[in-house]
Amino acid sequence: MTVLLQSLISGILIGGVYALIGIGLTIIFGVMRVINFAHGDILMVGMYMTYILFTSLGIDPFVSIVITIPLMFLFGAFLQKLFINRMQGALPQNQILLTIGLGLIMSNTMMLIFTSDYKILSTSYSSESFNVAGISISSPLAISFLITAAITLLLYWFLLKTDTGQAIRATAQDREAAQLMGINVRWMSILAFGIGSALAGTAGALISPTYYIFPQIGGIFTLKAFVITVLGGMGSIVGATLGGVIIGVAESVSAVYISSGWKDVVVFVLFLLVLLFKPAGLMGKSRM
Amino acid sequence: MMKRGFVFVLAFCLALPGISLAANVKIGFINSITGPEAPIGENLTNGVTLAIEDLKKKGIDVQLLKEDDTGKPQISMSAMEKLAGQGVSGVVGPYTSACANAVAKLAEKYKVPLLVPAAAKEEITRQHLKYVYRLNAPADQYASSLIDAALAMGKPKTVAFIYENTDFGTSTTKTAKEYVAKKGIKVVADESYSKGSPDYRSTLTKIKAQKPDLVFMVSYVADAILLMRQSREIGLQPQAFLGGGAGFTTVQFAKEKEISNNVFSTTQWTDDVNWPGAKDFFNRYKSKFGKEPTYHAACAYQAMLIMAETASKNGGDREKTRAGLKSGSWKGIMGDTKFEDYDGFTNQNKHQMLILQIQNGQFETVFPIKFASKKPVFPFPKWK
Repeated sequence: MTVLLQSLISGILIGGVYALIGIGLTIIFGVMRVINFAHGDILMVGMYMTYILFTSLGIDPFVSIVITIPLMFLFGAFLQKLFINRMQGALPQNQILLTIGLGLIMSNTMMLIFTSDYKILSTSYSSESFNVAGISISSPLAISFLITAAITLLLYWFLLKTDTGQAIRATAQDREAAQLMGINVRWMSILAFGIGSALAGTAGALISPTYYIFPQIGGIFTLKAFVITVLGGMGSIVGATLGGVIIGVAESVSAVYISSGWKDVVVFVLFLLVLLFKPAGLMGKSRM
Repeated sequence: MMKRGFVFVLAFCLALPGISLAANVKIGFINSITGPEAPIGENLTNGVTLAIEDLKKKGIDVQLLKEDDTGKPQISMSAMEKLAGQGVSGVVGPYTSACANAVAKLAEKYKVPLLVPAAAKEEITRQHLKYVYRLNAPADQYASSLIDAALAMGKPKTVAFIYENTDFGTSTTKTAKEYVAKKGIKVVADESYSKGSPDYRSTLTKIKAQKPDLVFMVSYVADAILLMRQSREIGLQPQAFLGGGAGFTTVQFAKEKEISNNVFSTTQWTDDVNWPGAKDFFNRYKSKFGKEPTYHAACAYQAMLIMAETASKNGGDREKTRAGLKSGSWKGIMGDTKFEDYDGFTNQNKHQMLILQIQNGQFETVFPIKFASKKPVFPFPKWK
């Protein structure tokens, strides 16, 4: 019983971070219909940013998101304005090539600057944990889960209640109609890519105290982000949140009851089953 | 006057390669220069760089043809085909077990002598391939030397395995399981994982429930740190943590004192061992590249020396080089080297593995006794 609860808790905690990555990707796709293959690499940039802030300025990784979020937002907005924007409406394969290329440039630039060494960010609480009824909970993961939850709620509020948020959703639902209603869709695209990047960067910052950092780490998370978004329904934020937690729990429960070597198989079988019975993903498509 | 000087310089330039041509050998080097294995690959590249410098001092000018396999067997294979076509006398590499194993058969096909510096999978030298040589000890040595050490210190009865589901991880664990069976130790958990997951807690919790005396882990670089961090979190408390392979022997791992202290690991090479030139190699490497060499660097260094010397002695002829590797013996930073046929291995160097324990953030050699610098700490102290 303890083992089951332990794996559930671990899964949910890590799922929270997955959700954050997925939400970023889904917003970008929803608004721009561009599949961002550089998503994992953007996360990697966020990790390095956290790493620099921690090692050279001594800023705690969880505090540093205050700096990481705006910087990553600007980085994303810059990418969108300079590169992605030009590909708006181009063939999907061209957009994919562009984002893959951007990702490669990011990971190789980081390799040039930081070498390919694994960087470990060791805070005083990196291997701390506390016990709740016999279940050990990693302190850094618990904190990052709380931050994730707060950011997700804030994002919901932003998208549902504010004018700009509604404009973003309108653009996602129908770009042309939104444009006819006087919404500046170009600006919305920049905003969406910025938010998506900021979320990926934040996720990077949040897992860096418990994970390790290297330039090629992006690929792992790009793949996860895809599974999460497609599972939840491309473009759906609720779906991505749900998808993240489901993947996190599936990974950790199957690691215990089957074998950790097989957990990816379980995740992908689950993924295929969802696609088979609900091709649009758990939460349908492009509803935000 | 200007013109004549220019002609002179030009003639000199043209003549220069001709002069060194006498001792010029073409050696291929396949390594993971980019890709996920790049952090370790870098050590091999640096080791080879130092070897080339030393060979130059000895009058052997090596024309090194570097190929990047990005850690993928298929790319490694095409690199080998390319090198065979470019007329190399021999090839050093590739780094990972999967790549080395794939390339081994090609080396035999094209009759190119291949010296594998640091890949551990046993099968590589177990296929009766005449052209394939290996410098490092194969994976079975990793496991058996660690378990022997544990048996010398206490009386463990149960063992749990957690390992990466790659060629290296599974083959090391497979032989370890056979070895513990012989020694009467019971396997209570057998868990493989795919590398790069951020969370191993659930697997470790499952292992903790079995209360094993020994926990045997096999992993590459950074997963080792995560595994130990999370072991501490959930309070996994065996008599000893045995770390097989790469991840547990990095300086980075040792630096994480809170979680790495008293973990045992095994390695092919350390700088405090009394093999000739080991300390010197360590110092030179550190001053040149700004970081400490891993055993991979030493293996690659020695492998390149052996390959280039043998090839140049035999005028770059592949067949003669192969015979030269078979009959030769060397003494260097990797101790005594000789390629022998034994226990089903072909052209395998009987390399002595060293058992290390991290004490106060430093790797100390604790077994075999004749190379030991410190006494081992056993059993594993309670987590703080």
